[in-house]
Amino acid sequence: MMEKLIFGRYIPGDSFVHRLDPRTKLLGAISFIVIIFLANNWLTYGVLALFTLLAIYLSGIDRNFFVNGVRPLIWLILFTVVLQVLFTGGETVYVDWGPLVISKEGLINGVYIFVRFILIIFMSTLLTLTTMPLSLTDAIEFLLRPFAAMKMPVHEIALMLSIALRFVPTLMDETEKIMNAQRARGIDFGQGNVFEQMKSIVPLLIPLFVSSFNRAEELATAMEARGYKGGEGRSRYRQLLWTQKDTLVMVSFGLLAVMLYILKA
Amino acid sequence: MKTKQWVYNALVAALYVTVTGVLTPISFGVIQFRVAEIFNHLAVFNKKYIVGVVLGVFISNLFFSQIVLFDLVFGVGHTLFSFGLLAIFSSKQMSLKLRMTINTLSFAIGSFLIAWELYLALEFPFWLSYLSVAIGELVVMGLGVPLMLYINSKLHFSKIMEK
Repeated sequence: MMEKLIFGRYIPGDSFVHRLDPRTKLLGAISFIVIIFLANNWLTYGVLALFTLLAIYLSGIDRNFFVNGVRPLIWLILFTVVLQVLFTGGETVYVDWGPLVISKEGLINGVYIFVRFILIIFMSTLLTLTTMPLSLTDAIEFLLRPFAAMKMPVHEIALMLSIALRFVPTLMDETEKIMNAQRARGIDFGQGNVFEQMKSIVPLLIPLFVSSFNRAEELATAMEARGYKGGEGRSRYRQLLWTQKDTLVMVSFGLLAVMLYILKA
Repeated sequence: MKTKQWVYNALVAALYVTVTGVLTPISFGVIQFRVAEIFNHLAVFNKKYIVGVVLGVFISNLFFSQIVLFDLVFGVGHTLFSFGLLAIFSSKQMSLKLRMTINTLSFAIGSFLIAWELYLALEFPFWLSYLSVAIGELVVMGLGVPLMLYINSKLHFSKIMEK
């Protein structure tokens, strides 16, 4: 659990995908999700599937991690696919039970939707498996920069992001300790119905709030004592580096979009 | 906001993420019992907490979501939209309890955005997901009203932020 909160779902590695600039991966994943809605026939879905498999191959990450990413959603996905199959009408009907019809078009539609699910989840998983949350927030801060002109407090948002990410593991540790202390006093966490469960978190939340607010107070005092005055002219500890590889990847996403536009029905 | 208030909000966000991570294994998808949603009530005590809560939602989705980009946009959108509803339908003259009830309803109503997200990303049936997400919000935030009022009686959230 601790590890999960420090790294999110990140798996350390040194592959082509791992080494890409986080901005490239973020922009790439965003454009993939836009591009996927262009697909509407076997050919286009095939091209997208190949593209995704290539990206997964280039990440060097075991494919089981991707399959595991789908697992929590699989029943919902299948449920949706079945609904789509049963309620999409069509010309070539195989089974007809009144309002429920299984047609060739319905089946094809079901398969398309299934493939789209899997591809979206795979690409999202690829992004989070190969990029640390901290790098992703750097990329997000960079992409937010234009909004600074609209008086959005971009620097403060970035500051809060890094402080929050820094303190998640600390608070996590603290939560474990408080939970153990309260268990020793006879509280059952995660037992009983929703009401009982909610009640049991009060003795957890109060000490957690107190300790977080104390930490915030100390941190803010320390920052002010050291002369922190906002973002003007501050240098950065982690630098983002855009290379030719990143340009190449962005171009390939552009080509993918063009290809799908040509191939779609 | 002052530096100190940004830092307080950062810690509120960290707390949101921690609670999401520790207390609920089932937080994403159609069935949502995210205990951390009771933090939404912080905005009723002092609207400056909104920043921290929104950031908490953002980071939780970044960490734990299967469809991360959709969740980042729609999760944050849902929180902002619901706070918008709260601002429109509540006023300072109302009692805390009433404002928290309005807040709970706002989040339940606003969860159509999550249903819409699930429809767009995964074509889940809209009304079914709307119903289940809204019920999740109603239960968690509804139970959160007495809970947060009690915690507030010990900690005085608004005073802490303005100290």
